[in-house]
Amino acid sequence: MSVITYFKYHRAFFKFLLSSTLVLSFFSCTEEASIQSYSIPSEYDGPIVTWKLPDNWGENPDLSGPMAGSFHIKTQEGPQGRIGVMPFREQVSTVDVANMFGREMGYPTFTESTLAPFVQKKEIGNRIFEWLVLNAKKDPKLSSPRTALLALLRQEGETWLFPFIADQKLVLKESENFIQFLGSCTLRSAKNKPIIARSPSPKNRTTKPTPSTPPRDSPWIWEIPTTWKDGKTSSMRIASLKVDDQNGSELDISVTTFPGDVGGLLANVNRWIGQIDLSPVNQSSLEKYCTPFAIAGNSGHFIEAYGENDAVLAGALFLEKESWFFKLIGNRSLAEKEKDNFIMFLHSISPKSGSEKK
Amino acid sequence: MNENKKKNTLGQRRKDFNFLIPFASLRLTITLLSLSMILIFVATLEQVRIGIRGALAEYFESFYGIWYYPEKFWGSEYLQDIPLPIPGGYLLGGLLIINLTAAYIVRFQWTLKKAGIQLIHLGIILLLIGQLTTQAIQEESRMQINKGEKSNFIERFHGVELALRDVTDPAKEQVITVPQKILENGGTLTDKSLPFTIKVHHFGVNCDFDSVDPNKPKSKIVEFVNRGVGKSANLNIIEKEEDFSSDGANFGYLVLELLDQGKSLGQWLTIAHPAGNEVWTKLSPKLADLSFQSIRHKGKLWGITLRQQREYLPFAIELLDIENEYYQGTEIPFNFESDINLHLEGNQTRRALVYMNTPLRHGGLTFYQYQMNDAANYSVFQVINNPSWLVPYIACILVSIGMLWQFSFHLVKFLRKNSKSPANA
Repeated sequence: MSVITYFKYHRAFFKFLLSSTLVLSFFSCTEEASIQSYSIPSEYDGPIVTWKLPDNWGENPDLSGPMAGSFHIKTQEGPQGRIGVMPFREQVSTVDVANMFGREMGYPTFTESTLAPFVQKKEIGNRIFEWLVLNAKKDPKLSSPRTALLALLRQEGETWLFPFIADQKLVLKESENFIQFLGSCTLRSAKNKPIIARSPSPKNRTTKPTPSTPPRDSPWIWEIPTTWKDGKTSSMRIASLKVDDQNGSELDISVTTFPGDVGGLLANVNRWIGQIDLSPVNQSSLEKYCTPFAIAGNSGHFIEAYGENDAVLAGALFLEKESWFFKLIGNRSLAEKEKDNFIMFLHSISPKSGSEKK
Repeated sequence: MNENKKKNTLGQRRKDFNFLIPFASLRLTITLLSLSMILIFVATLEQVRIGIRGALAEYFESFYGIWYYPEKFWGSEYLQDIPLPIPGGYLLGGLLIINLTAAYIVRFQWTLKKAGIQLIHLGIILLLIGQLTTQAIQEESRMQINKGEKSNFIERFHGVELALRDVTDPAKEQVITVPQKILENGGTLTDKSLPFTIKVHHFGVNCDFDSVDPNKPKSKIVEFVNRGVGKSANLNIIEKEEDFSSDGANFGYLVLELLDQGKSLGQWLTIAHPAGNEVWTKLSPKLADLSFQSIRHKGKLWGITLRQQREYLPFAIELLDIENEYYQGTEIPFNFESDINLHLEGNQTRRALVYMNTPLRHGGLTFYQYQMNDAANYSVFQVINNPSWLVPYIACILVSIGMLWQFSFHLVKFLRKNSKSPANA
């Protein structure tokens, strides 16, 4: 019997073998990697701003945080001054903005009435800007005092802030260019990235807060609920408080600070959840217990973990040179009851006057 | 006719294909099956050490693997340093296909009486070929959707890409992606749609990263990074081996330099988060920009990011609601359920429920319920693209028919014989 005859009689089987081999060989050949280019509907939800820059201005290439644009003025002595574009997704009060820069310039905290003399309205193009000029107190070391020229534009529920900070002479010299620059701007703020100064307040406040006497070595002030009592003192703690109930359950609340980031968020969260017998998490599952939370106007974290019997709630704030931890730990059901009070406590934290933290 | 029958006999086939006789040996079948059992045993042990993906890559998706005697076993002090070669899945699977095919030709009788045996073996051959095909072409990805939102792309579990996005136009964005294979090769990359040249300085599939004190020394990988988050957060990188374990998180990293007509624009560090770059924003404001490091260049706003390799789909999935249930008193999931709307072309929609073992199949993709976070209101689907997914089903049907045929044949024969026996007469 010849091979050809054999194939003829068992065609189906050999067809199957051949096609399987072909399929395998075809798919085994890996696709060659190449650079791809494609177009999609815009997914970018950050700010987009376009402008026409005066000839003697330069752009700072790095953008970070809320800045949508950053510039300097080219001078013979090198780049000078800071000009920025900061979009806020929500309406921000002029007083808040003035206080952001006023403290840097040595002004006391503004109120609406004390700020009123500083605020003007200026029409540039078809838009009305709020216009504030804050001059710093004279520094003998400087030939010209620092000046913050702040232009605020409010449109469609958004606020755009254009700060121009330089010495007074430079601000005066470049004010025309600054006006032309503002007139040339096209502005679109971030879709989903609100820049929020503070987190929303808790819905239900269970107890009336009382201002607490801030510890001497704390740069913060805060309010504590009336149900909280002084707790055990320790040299490690800036403040120590406790809550107990009729069943003998207790919560320990502490405020501590450490230099540096003491291992960072992950290490500290794992340490705390370990104290209530929960297994450690890795970086990618950290969000199981952590959410972003503003503390005293800074970006911080709120940690919430419940073990079988105990729970831990905490606020963590990592500043440039130090870390602050506001922690509640103890009986789970009591912690659940006190959660709103604890969040209210975190919201109440603000810098003690004259001790702005960065 | 008789001539044809003669040509079809086993003896004739053995004569024509005598070179196949050694491959059709039953001993070879038994040996291969025994070795397969050893392979499965070794891979199961190794799975504890290197994870499912590691064991698959080392032992099943290869021709051979090297095994070291486990430290915790008896006599490990003498045996643990001896490398033991173990035949891999490709070798055993390939040999089994040859063995079964050869047996089909030179050992089996092609009669109606033995048709069941032939079907069973045909099914097994198909199963083996199907598995090899699956390993060669299957792609696994993930799709994460927040409740109330839509998604139209999937991201590979393994493999990253550098994405450069021109987001200047508010309506649409231009995306240029460089796949991992090219990044691994390093060098200088250009593309006609890019206004700058990319120079790859360092690329790795996994790393440890940390924000360090500016006075402390950093690794050589990041010593020249002078732009973006790498600089602002003063990030240090320590290279790590790829983690194959099931809960292993691989943070791919890339240090790249952008050049415009030979002039350096700076060096950036970018890191891919294995759970998607949106997580950076939640982790820390310092690291938030790792999801989009912006560069303004020649009047355009560009963003660079290293992300899990992404594929856009011609349809979108909207997550309407999620529900998860646990076994009482435990954290062991009982059921995860996603209520979704499938948005097709032409404004057509299809409502579906995706839950454990009940995936959604659409457009050649299968969406399995994979993860869920009730607190953060999102659901994650494991998305499988396997064009040969039907092969195992067909193979199993063939084996079932073959077994049914074979058993029925013998049963009928037995019953006939029984009815003719003197006792029943």
